[in-house]
Order: sequence, then C-alpha cells, then structure tokens
Amino acid sequence: MKEYVKMIRPWDVIMMIILVLVSLFPVIVFSYYQSGTITEDTTFIAVISQDNQIIDEITLTGHVGHEVFDIQIDEHEINTIEIKDEAIRIQGATCSDQVCVRTGFISQPGETIICLPHKLVIEIKTSNGESEEMIISS
Amino acid sequence: MTNNQRLVYIALLAAQAVIISLVERAIPFPFAIAPGAKLGLANVITCVALYTLSTKDASKVVATRLILATLLGGTISTFMYSASGAILSFLGMWGVKKLGPNKVSIIGVSTTGAVLHNVGQLFVASLIAKTWTVFLYLPVLSFIGILSGIAIGISAHYLLEHVEKLQYYKYLREAKINYSMK
Repeated sequence: MKEYVKMIRPWDVIMMIILVLVSLFPVIVFSYYQSGTITEDTTFIAVISQDNQIIDEITLTGHVGHEVFDIQIDEHEINTIEIKDEAIRIQGATCSDQVCVRTGFISQPGETIICLPHKLVIEIKTSNGESEEMIISS
Repeated sequence: MTNNQRLVYIALLAAQAVIISLVERAIPFPFAIAPGAKLGLANVITCVALYTLSTKDASKVVATRLILATLLGGTISTFMYSASGAILSFLGMWGVKKLGPNKVSIIGVSTTGAVLHNVGQLFVASLIAKTWTVFLYLPVLSFIGILSGIAIGISAHYLLEHVEKLQYYKYLREAKINYSMK
C-alpha cells in the first residue's frame, strides 16, 4: 500500500481536482440558468422526440394515473414508455444496450433518457406559459 | 526494438485490448445508479502502450482496438460513442503524460483518460439528442471514472514494473526520449 501512495505525484492530485471541477461545470451552469425560472406556475413537460422530430409532449405536472404506450421506431423496433403520476420512464425497448431502460424514472427538469440506437430522446423541459401571460396582461 | 518486434508488439497489445473489451462487455455492470457506465478495463492497454511505445505507435494500438472491437459485436452507434471517447481520452492522456514523470504518474494519466472518455461519449450523445443537458449526467460517470482510473493506473504500473519485457520497452522508450532531448 505504501509504495502506491509514494507513487502519487503532485499533478495527479491537481489533475483529479481539475477533472472533478470540469465534470461539475455543466451542473453549476444549469442550476444557475434554472434558478429563478421555477415558480409555482411552472409546469414540467416531457418532450419525446425521435431523430430530432418531436413525437409527443406530455405535461407531467398534475398528471395522475398510470399510462403505458408504445412508440414504433420501425417494423421491429419498439420503445415502451410508461408514465406514472409525475414521472416518466422507458419500460422496455428492443435496443441492444438497454441503457434507456436502466435509466429508470425521470421527473426533474434537465433530466434526459436517451436511447442511442433508436435515436429516441425524452427530455424534461419547463414551461412558464401562464406566468408570462400574466405579466403581459398586467 | 527491431521493426518486426515493434509490429508484433503493437499487434499483441491491440489483440489483448480487443479481448479485454469483449470480456468486459460480457460482465453485467453492477452499479444500477449509472446505466451506461463501464469500468474501462481496456484502458490498461492504452496506458501500457503510451509508456512503452512512441505516440504514433500507441495511437495505432488504440485505433486497431477500436475498429476490431466494433467489428466483433458493436453497432454504428456504439462505434461513434467509443470512437469519440477513445480519441478524446487518448489526446488527454498524451497531453497529461507530456508533463513528465516527475510531475505526473501513470495514475493521473489513466484517470484523465477515464474521465475524458466519458466526456467524449456524452459529447456524441448530446450531438445526437441535440441537447446539452445530457452533460448533467457527467458527475456520476466521472465519479466512477476517477475510481476505476485510479485502480487501472495502479494495475498498469504493476504490469510495467513486473513484466520483464514491458520493463525493458519502457526503459528503451525513456532512453529514446532522453536521447532526443539532448
């Protein structure tokens, strides 16, 4: 054990700190960008798109109940999507890596599920539609 | 090292890397928190190649591994994924190693490789998904990447210290660098 500790050079530690900072950078930028935009009126919308074309938009805020439906990619390829209350997931897929299925439920803005082989993306976006209208009308 | 020895050595490293990545693909990943995360065991070979071969030859090892691993059971999407990851991590490892053996050890090199591999993969994912929010997933991947990078750095160090031929090739490589610096 001792010889491995002795092996560490100063830049090893510096590189690790840099790498941690770099990997936290997107999260910091995102939370800075999001802060203040989420209010009581904000609704979360799940946007399902395939090959950059939006297939469906589902309002998650206030959604109750349980829904399961299929998205047909082509003749043999299917993604099964499940919405349970305010969360959405891919329940099953015919893709090779199953990364999308293992991602599980998402419900927070900025979270994504990606099925790379099928080019299917589910992204949670925010909408402040109502509050903006109020500002204009007042 | 004669030219033939060098060629055989490159081929051997590439073959080992292909086998390691195939075996790794067969291991179901135990951490449910990070789907898509991998241990990146083939990184051992890239580290060893960087320390025993010239940069040009090490890049040949990486390229051969990439193409062969894709042909043996990958798809176009996994190829794009792993290609951008491999290129970015190789450049990063090469750059970090340039700092010199006094400043950085093989642990730092392999950790950089592991994290930059994730960055490269997420870059392709964000291009395909047309959204940069994919990068919010980076901290989870980096955490596993840094841990596995440390473990892989130590095992690569162990190989370089204890396999006689690797020791000798590393010595040759360092002698060559010192010679060209004079």
